[in-house]
Amino acid sequence: MQMYKHTSNVRGHLALVAVIGMAVLAGCASSPTSTGNTSSPAASSAASQSAAATATSQCGTKPGVTATGTPIALGGIVTNEAGTSFTDIANMAAAYFACVNANGGINGHPVKYYIETEQTNPAQIAAEAKQLVQTDHVVGIVGNTSIIECSIDSSYWQRLGYDIIDSGIAPECWSTPSSAAVNMGPRYSSDGAVQYALTQHVSKIAFDQSNVPGTGYIAAGPAALAAAARVPITQLTENVPITNADSVAIREVDAAGPNGAVVLNFTPPEALVILQAAQKLGLEDRVKIWGCSTPCNTDFLAAALGPKWDHKLFVNAELTPPDVTNTPTMSLYRAILAKYGKAVSGGIGSFSQMGFTEAEIAVHALDTITGPYTVASVNAAFRAVSNFNTGMLCQLWTYGTYAMHIPNNEDYTVTPDNGKMVTAQGCTQISSVDPQIAAYRKLAGVAALAP
Amino acid sequence: MPSWQDFQPFIVTGLALGGVYALSGVGLVVLYRATGVVYLAFGAVGAMGALIAWSVTNAGGPGWSGWLACVLFAAGVTVGYGMLFGPALAKRDPLVKATATLGLLLVLFGTMDLLWTTSGGESRALSLPTDNSGFTVGQIQINWTQVIGLAAGVVITVLTALFLRHTRLGTAMRAMANDREITATLGVPVRRVEAAAWLGCGVLAGIAGLLLADMVALDATTLTFLVISSLAAALIARLRSIAFTFAAAIVIGLVQNMLVPISSLSNYSDMTPFVLAAAALLVLVRRRVMTSSREES
Amino acid sequence: MPAGTLARTAVVTVLLLFTLLALPQLISLYYVDTMTQVGIYAIVALGLGVLVGRVGLVSLGQIAVLAVGAWVAARLLFATAQPYPVVLLEAGLFTMVAGTLIGLPALRLRGLYLALITLMLAGAFSIVLATTNFPNGGHGFLGYNGSLVRIPPIRRPDIASGDPAYFRYTVIVAALMFLLVLAHIRSRPGRAWAAIRQSESAALAAGINTTLYKLWALALASFITGVAGGLYAGAVHYIYSIDFPAQDSIILLAVVLMGGAYSLWGAVVAALLLELLPALLNNWGVPADWLTILFGLGVLQVLTTAPAGLADQVPRDLARLGRLLLGLLRRPASAGSEAQ
Repeated sequence: MQMYKHTSNVRGHLALVAVIGMAVLAGCASSPTSTGNTSSPAASSAASQSAAATATSQCGTKPGVTATGTPIALGGIVTNEAGTSFTDIANMAAAYFACVNANGGINGHPVKYYIETEQTNPAQIAAEAKQLVQTDHVVGIVGNTSIIECSIDSSYWQRLGYDIIDSGIAPECWSTPSSAAVNMGPRYSSDGAVQYALTQHVSKIAFDQSNVPGTGYIAAGPAALAAAARVPITQLTENVPITNADSVAIREVDAAGPNGAVVLNFTPPEALVILQAAQKLGLEDRVKIWGCSTPCNTDFLAAALGPKWDHKLFVNAELTPPDVTNTPTMSLYRAILAKYGKAVSGGIGSFSQMGFTEAEIAVHALDTITGPYTVASVNAAFRAVSNFNTGMLCQLWTYGTYAMHIPNNEDYTVTPDNGKMVTAQGCTQISSVDPQIAAYRKLAGVAALAP
Repeated sequence: MPSWQDFQPFIVTGLALGGVYALSGVGLVVLYRATGVVYLAFGAVGAMGALIAWSVTNAGGPGWSGWLACVLFAAGVTVGYGMLFGPALAKRDPLVKATATLGLLLVLFGTMDLLWTTSGGESRALSLPTDNSGFTVGQIQINWTQVIGLAAGVVITVLTALFLRHTRLGTAMRAMANDREITATLGVPVRRVEAAAWLGCGVLAGIAGLLLADMVALDATTLTFLVISSLAAALIARLRSIAFTFAAAIVIGLVQNMLVPISSLSNYSDMTPFVLAAAALLVLVRRRVMTSSREES
Repeated sequence: MPAGTLARTAVVTVLLLFTLLALPQLISLYYVDTMTQVGIYAIVALGLGVLVGRVGLVSLGQIAVLAVGAWVAARLLFATAQPYPVVLLEAGLFTMVAGTLIGLPALRLRGLYLALITLMLAGAFSIVLATTNFPNGGHGFLGYNGSLVRIPPIRRPDIASGDPAYFRYTVIVAALMFLLVLAHIRSRPGRAWAAIRQSESAALAAGINTTLYKLWALALASFITGVAGGLYAGAVHYIYSIDFPAQDSIILLAVVLMGGAYSLWGAVVAALLLELLPALLNNWGVPADWLTILFGLGVLQVLTTAPAGLADQVPRDLARLGRLLLGLLRRPASAGSEAQ
């Protein structure tokens, strides 16, 4: 019995040492940065530093004045698990709110933003929604980005009167009254990619997507577009994470044929793995063009892919390309990212753009409120957002009181060029051949292009 | 039904992947035969080694220093585990020993996600210099990494078989697999032989980690649980024969990849290692092969 | 009734009453939802505990069994208007039959190989599940419609549609499952299992039909896990194949070992480790990876030093601590030299 306890102590100590060692190592944690990725703006010169300072002062109504009133509580739920992380979006929204709080707040009130992360566990997601409402007493929900949250919480939000501003993925983010997204999501973004491929007069389309919830919903859009153009389309799905990218690439190329297009709908790591496998096998020229939905739209991907894919891969871009735009809003975006966005590991890219846009819309709506900030007043203000120029989207953005919302339905197409994504096609409407798009346009009409 | 032409590129990828499964499977079998431990953390150790290699090269180090770091890490953790927990569990059932390695798997798995966080838009990739050069056979492009995958499997299998047959250390390992107690009484330095087995297995885990990180993906979850495919090959060989492990691994790699072009079965191709292993185990049970040997009790 | 058993029954009854009546009032809805999951996974852990602790069968596929139960319940809840308890029963029975049929050929395998074959079968099952998905109100055998733009929720029992009410419902069903297992343990199967765990060959020699009792354990574990699956379906309203990854079975085994595979309390401890701890860490902003590491260390610790797990170890440690304190109090002058 003595030896029993002694060894237990030794092992216990070893375990403790191991845990402490790991804690130390965790302090030196490394997140992925590609050496070719220049994501943060050069802020070395004094001139650009003061320019950044001026730019960030545009966040709020009283530049330089820290807000000290009673906080306005907002909340957001994002997926953060091994292999899929959307924390950049929430963290960028938080950065925007921090900027606003440092420059006058909302009529003197700071925004307090509660971020809940989830691991695609439905019970956890439902519980976190209740935590935000019951414990944190949030009056508005902004920034949700989750593989399944919209499905799980949409009736809860609807029942309690929360009209959320999100960057959606699940079908309910666009098909319910209480959610309006700044992005187009997998289905409509895939529509955009397929649409571009069709403009290149391909004879066949192979559409491949990850086998996560909602594949049928996503596939229906490209299927409708291909049917209307009388182009045969092969629908494929892959279990993720992908373990045999070589086989996936070969299968796609075989399905598309020499005059066809392969269109992908995957998260960036999976899309990268497939495209790199295609390159290793020398398959990139075996089809006419390659397409991808918005997740591929990052400079990281452009740099990681290399020159063989320049003007060969065409990516649907739901948001205005930041590298070629120099509007005040884009400058503000870069400035906030530089000053308050330390937690945004991906830097400039569509994730942080989405977070920025959602926070921007929320602040714009909150600024219109004259009385107390309650669930009723805040969400009424969200719903009242109409024809707002976000500076990040093709169109003016409207929430409105509709049974469904697809406010972002016009997009760019970008292509890699020398390590960066450049515009291949300007703002183009997603076709009304997709029945959901048609249904929305019947309710809300077609929004005007942003100037 | 796809034509023979359509199958050809999948045969190439199947052989390459099968080679790496064989490499891992041989490592698992040798260790089991010497120590009675089914090293379920094999994949996790290789995965973490590959991530370390990535960090080394990402920080500016030359490629070979990353690979060295990977193999050293894998060998170090494996030997460390074997020497720390081996003696305490030496007299326990192989089931307990295998379950304990699950503990190591979980520790590594959690550590990997902590140290190499997932960032939404970016991913890590490990590439070997042999990735972008290759040759063409007919219509198919083969790159040197795939050749290395298969070659490594063959070479390791042959070398290990020769080692076990013709060296003193190898003979000692085979003796320990048969009966540890008697081997010890014969004067064989059992601890040292075990350490050698753990070391060899660790080195193989590092090499397999590098190859799989290149050929499959540099993703902690994927690489950690890819060990199950190699384990399937080892199980089909009843955790005993190196040659059978190699053959089973090649068959698994081939079948898994050749199912991909058959559109009705394509989504089920990932099941191949599991189905083949389960079937093999059940067939062998019918022949009552699994119930009598002492080493399995 | 001996005093010890009476005391223990009293404690359990008081705790149960507290959990049913007072707890939902005292905690936020976030924790009510979390504790509902604790209740569900306590049943799953109990099933694995019966297999591992009582009979010595390690299953690395219990999460797949849970998925089967959830699938059957979801299908029935969408396709029929049967009352919820009937659906739970049917889910349990179907899972029991499936588990027994699949387990039967595998039972001839010895310890390690049985564990590994459950791992293989679970891996195969998760891939099939990724393709068949879970029922979501669609038609056909699979009941899955992938094109829905709005997925209907899985219904709950009429008397328990709100979260606190569903929590109480779950606790009651869990208590019934625990009673079922207790009844088994106290009667003939329990004694047979104890004999098999001691030595299977001795049990055979004593005339016990080991295959029958092993099957019985498998059937019992599958039944209660199937019922737990039914409870899960109502708890979450929406089920996805990604909710049942094969690695969760490994973590389940880890917490069952840590909690104590042999004791019934161990199953509750395991569920608290599996569901409550992550929820707490989430609230405190600590990454869940620390738990994975903790569980890995826990497995190593349990297997090398404390085979009966926390549920057995903690009372013993507390008792030892109590004796230590008493010793210190009685002899304050020589405390330094007496204490360990």
